[in-house]
Amino acid sequence: MNDKKKNTLLGYIFLVPSLVVFIMFMFIPLAKTFYLSFFDWNMIKPVKTFVGLDNYIKVLSDPNTMKIVGNTFWYIVILLIINFVAPYILSFILSAVIKKGQNFYKSAFFLPSVISLVVGSILYLWILNPISGPIAIIANFFGITLPIWSKTEGLILVVLSIITSWKVFGYNFIIIFAGVSGVSAEVIEAARLDNVPTWKIFFDIVIPMSSATGIYVFIITIVQGLQYVFTPIKVITQGGPYYASSNVIYNSYHEAFTLYRTGMSSAVSVLTMVLFIVLLILEFRFVERGVYYEN
Amino acid sequence: MKIKDNQLGWHALLLGVVFLLLMPIVFAVSNSFKTLSDAFNTIFQIIPSNPTLDNYKRVFQSLPFVQITCNTFFIATTVTLFKIVTSLFAAYAFVYFDFKGKNIVYFLMLMTMFIPFTVTMIPNYLTVSKLGLVDSSWGVILTQLADVLGIFLLRQSMRGIPKSLIEAAKLENVGNFKIMRDIVIPLTKPSIISTGIIFFINSWNEYVWPVLILKTKENYTLSLALQMFISSEGGTDFTIAMAVSVMTMLIPLVLYIVFQKYIINTFAMSGVKG
Repeated sequence: MNDKKKNTLLGYIFLVPSLVVFIMFMFIPLAKTFYLSFFDWNMIKPVKTFVGLDNYIKVLSDPNTMKIVGNTFWYIVILLIINFVAPYILSFILSAVIKKGQNFYKSAFFLPSVISLVVGSILYLWILNPISGPIAIIANFFGITLPIWSKTEGLILVVLSIITSWKVFGYNFIIIFAGVSGVSAEVIEAARLDNVPTWKIFFDIVIPMSSATGIYVFIITIVQGLQYVFTPIKVITQGGPYYASSNVIYNSYHEAFTLYRTGMSSAVSVLTMVLFIVLLILEFRFVERGVYYEN
Repeated sequence: MKIKDNQLGWHALLLGVVFLLLMPIVFAVSNSFKTLSDAFNTIFQIIPSNPTLDNYKRVFQSLPFVQITCNTFFIATTVTLFKIVTSLFAAYAFVYFDFKGKNIVYFLMLMTMFIPFTVTMIPNYLTVSKLGLVDSSWGVILTQLADVLGIFLLRQSMRGIPKSLIEAAKLENVGNFKIMRDIVIPLTKPSIISTGIIFFINSWNEYVWPVLILKTKENYTLSLALQMFISSEGGTDFTIAMAVSVMTMLIPLVLYIVFQKYIINTFAMSGVKG
């Protein structure tokens, strides 16, 4: 056996343990879900009925779907503001404007990221309790009555996003900060000597020069954020009231494990996957167009 | 300098964010030592006036809590060990072997990061169920024996080892397993440890998959046990829920405080591509 063949063989032998897991529990299930999306089934019946594109048509024509897609859109917007835009600005301030206390802020911001979102959900359920929680008491002092957010459409999305952000913010901050502080200090200093305003340094120098990290965080905020929101939805609202807090991820779970409509759930999952793939393709487009890589 | 003048304002802003993020944790610890009436009547008093261990005692009375903690620990440890071993081998293959299809395989593995869990949950549930592992720790563990994050992080860190070192060893006919054990693992130890801690904490906190698999209290993990105390009205078990919360976050927090520098650096690396 020549060296090249030996290398290929050995390479795959070392990869086998991971590959088996990925194939068994990622790729085959993915194909299977795709397959199931063309059948009417409930996980228990011995026979699956082939229904063609029926599940997709049902999903897309269901009025609740529009609501759920709308919710998903708003979740994405709110999560991006709190976990992408805000940490980007704060990273810039911390790395280029104030510089002091970097380690302290990084450690403190990241701390909630190591805590279970179920803990986060239960803590916020109390803090934001509209009658007896601390925020309600402060608001009452100023004569404001808090709305019952768990029953208020729109507001529920904001609250569940805030709970999720409590965990996600620090994690995203650490990654963006690494990208932003990778931007050469000399370039920023030089711009400053030329009296370029701070906001202009941020938009014209820092954002373009940290865009590889930026795009990565943008994508994971959407892809992982929508999945993280699942926990507070499941724990606090179960998607209610009347689908007002459900998103595509929760809906897929709900169809499968509450309503036992395997085909509908699979169709929703496949469509979610397509959405994520579109995002990834957009990312690669951007990267190809010559994003600046910091290393 | 205008920027200098703003420094205090910026610090106030950042400290405000710190306050928002950490206050819930302080509240949880404080309430877990309060009586139920104190929790509602002295909300803003951080140090309880009549501190009590009652909530903690009641946790142990109302739940098989030792068993639940052991389950969580067993799942997190097993998952971590498997993920580290599979990641070590895969990372070694990607860094030290040149073989056909390497880039495609690596790319496919990276893509698993973007697969939403809903796409795999039904078939995986059916597999676990067919093997009779529903409602058991192994059912939770089985599907997560490898993780692309580990492969990615360990690959990054192995690439930092001088190639000449490995080549010299290969010239002297040292086997790959020996190279891995005697050179690669010792040199990437900090990454292995912090990756392991990250896996452990993530698995400790995991909710989505265990909630599908585990059905009875005796087999629950901490996150699932905690969920039993949630009711949108606040409920009479509120201070007990706080005690369970504190015990659920204790281990991850201790690990984080001890290893924070490593953990933060490792996460910072996960955003850097290469």
